[in-house]
Amino acid sequence: MVSGRPWSSVVGLGLALVAIAGVTATLHLWLRLNNPTIAALTYLLIILIAATVSTLRVATAASVLGVLCLNFFFMPPVGTFTIADPQNWVALFVFLAVSVVASNLSSVARERAREAMARRDELARLFDLSRDVLLTTDSREAIGQLARFVSRRFALDFVAICLPRGDEWDVFDAGALGLQLTSDQLSKAFAGVDGGLEFDARARTYAGHREIALDDHRVRLVPLRLGARAIGLLAAAGRPVEPGTLDALAGLAAIAIERAHFLDERKSAEVARRSEELKSALLASLGHDLRTPLTAIRVAASNLQASWLADVDRREQSDVILTEVERLSRLFQNILEMARVDAGALAADVRWVHPSEILEAARDQVVHTLAGRRLEVDAAQERLVRLDPRLTASALAHLLENAAQYTAPGAPIEVKLTVNAEGLMISVRDHGPGIGAEDLPRLFDRFYRGQDARARVSGTGMGLSIARGMLAVERGRVWGENCPDGGARFTILVPAETKDAEASQVG
Amino acid sequence: MTRPARILLVDDEVPIQRALAPLLRSRGYDIEAAGTASEAFEVMRARPADLIVLDLGLPDLDGVEVCRRLRAESSAPIIVLSARGGESDKVAALDLGADDYVTKPFSPEELLARIRVALRRVFAADEAPAGRLQVGDLVIDYDRHRVVRQDEEIRLTPKEFDLLALLARSADRVLTHRAILKAIWGPNAVDQPEHLWVLMAQLRKKIEPDPAQPKYLISEPWVGYRFVTEPADV
Repeated sequence: MVSGRPWSSVVGLGLALVAIAGVTATLHLWLRLNNPTIAALTYLLIILIAATVSTLRVATAASVLGVLCLNFFFMPPVGTFTIADPQNWVALFVFLAVSVVASNLSSVARERAREAMARRDELARLFDLSRDVLLTTDSREAIGQLARFVSRRFALDFVAICLPRGDEWDVFDAGALGLQLTSDQLSKAFAGVDGGLEFDARARTYAGHREIALDDHRVRLVPLRLGARAIGLLAAAGRPVEPGTLDALAGLAAIAIERAHFLDERKSAEVARRSEELKSALLASLGHDLRTPLTAIRVAASNLQASWLADVDRREQSDVILTEVERLSRLFQNILEMARVDAGALAADVRWVHPSEILEAARDQVVHTLAGRRLEVDAAQERLVRLDPRLTASALAHLLENAAQYTAPGAPIEVKLTVNAEGLMISVRDHGPGIGAEDLPRLFDRFYRGQDARARVSGTGMGLSIARGMLAVERGRVWGENCPDGGARFTILVPAETKDAEASQVG
Repeated sequence: MTRPARILLVDDEVPIQRALAPLLRSRGYDIEAAGTASEAFEVMRARPADLIVLDLGLPDLDGVEVCRRLRAESSAPIIVLSARGGESDKVAALDLGADDYVTKPFSPEELLARIRVALRRVFAADEAPAGRLQVGDLVIDYDRHRVVRQDEEIRLTPKEFDLLALLARSADRVLTHRAILKAIWGPNAVDQPEHLWVLMAQLRKKIEPDPAQPKYLISEPWVGYRFVTEPADV
């Protein structure tokens, strides 16, 4: 549009001259008219059209030409620029004045319309931007994203949102130019801003706009204000933008920044609340899970001391103690593992291992819980996998324990080990009641226990969550599902390199 | 006692049953075990027990509710097993008719003592209520509203005597704050425990040899008070 204007101006001027020449030829040569009034009105029409569709300059030029033609062709003595009747001088001047004033009016109206269009365009951009801002959810990225939105919506080659942090400035920039604003420049511009909020009615902006030159670009700095308080600066370069629009833009950006902070705060409040919930869930769980074994151990131990006990009973009582001690140590093991997962204290320690080794290790960890359960193992694989056997086995142990708790003593637990291109896949399938639909999404939440399970099966709700945490350390996954013919299946997938067992013996 | 007392042990934790049942049998009680509330109700209907030991954390029904239903069907004393921290459940169970409680993990002796006290009440209920009670060197004469310690009369206000008599008549059993407030000040006072604290402090000053370390009027924190008849070995 900027480069098109001179062209359209030249074309307009040409068209206006041709039109005036045409009118002159038509009236003078063809119609042989010599009434100056009709000629003047016709010229005026052409001048007004020129003023409406082209620039003021074209219209003025057309006016001058019109005056000359009127004088030459229609005012006696025709064919000369001399004017015999002094009244015609007046008519000629009035014609010139009318045409110039009319051109002016029309041009001003056009300018207003253009301005209104531009304002509407900027309003539309502001509206789009506000929608972008409201749809932003991730607060961490929000401010950088905001700068990109502004640059895109307003077609600006450089946009930077600058927030003070002590003496330093956090600058989030966007756009093709990639200018470097220094802390000094920003601090200097910001220093004058905090003074107060005054509206400059003539420029239609609030005080505090600065303009600096940077690498041959004029960068405008606008304060970001929340109410009267300035929280930073918005820098913009490239396309000229109305100062009033820049103010509105800065206001919107300030609100977006504030919103991002609120989102952050809400998130950390949420995290704090969740960790509180976790703590109380842990305490409640521990309260029950410690007290019962402790009571049983205490009573059974004092029974053992008593003289009234028969040998059979004595064995029974010591069995109670051993079982409950085992339960306590498993509980402590769980708490410890959970603390390690939470603290991020686990690191994957990968080595080549045969999948059956992992199953053996897992089985060993939960041998008490598995007592009396039949394990049906399907592992025809002769391939080695490279992963952390310790973490994988612990995770598997939790799945086995879980399956044992939800299966009748007679029913088998089916374990399937598969090595494929992705890595190691282990599925544990039980013949228990399966997973309730409402439990599925929360299965791996810490301390979450199935709606039915809570009543029937003792447990802490830690196992599956620990399994998931451990597997995550080696980029593995675990999921649970119901089998079509009853029972639940839990599957572990650990991404790993694989190779043939023979190859390893050579190497 | 012509036949052994029958005790119903209601706890869903198998190890607790396995440890408690032989202990109670060794003391000559006849033991029946139940793992759920519905099982307990069934047993009570078929062969009513003389005493119920009830864990409040049953799988199928809220412990307090179990307590209420058992009380509705039977007058057998109920001893509640509960977790520390579950004070509100404990108090609710006591207010709904449970007779006493022990907190897990408890010592076997503690439970046995509570069972003895509760059963004594059952089997003594047939005898005519005594007009007086003697505990150590303390004699409470209910009929004449007199309390004597070491042959010396202790002057109590009527409210103080009411409180002492109330606790002594339920000797060795815990009475909740609520139950005491209701019995002495009426139902409108149950939420004003400060009455009880003040009165209890006055009573202890007169009754207890050392009010700072009471041996007869024992406080059960957050739950209530207990009048202890065997202060020497506590």
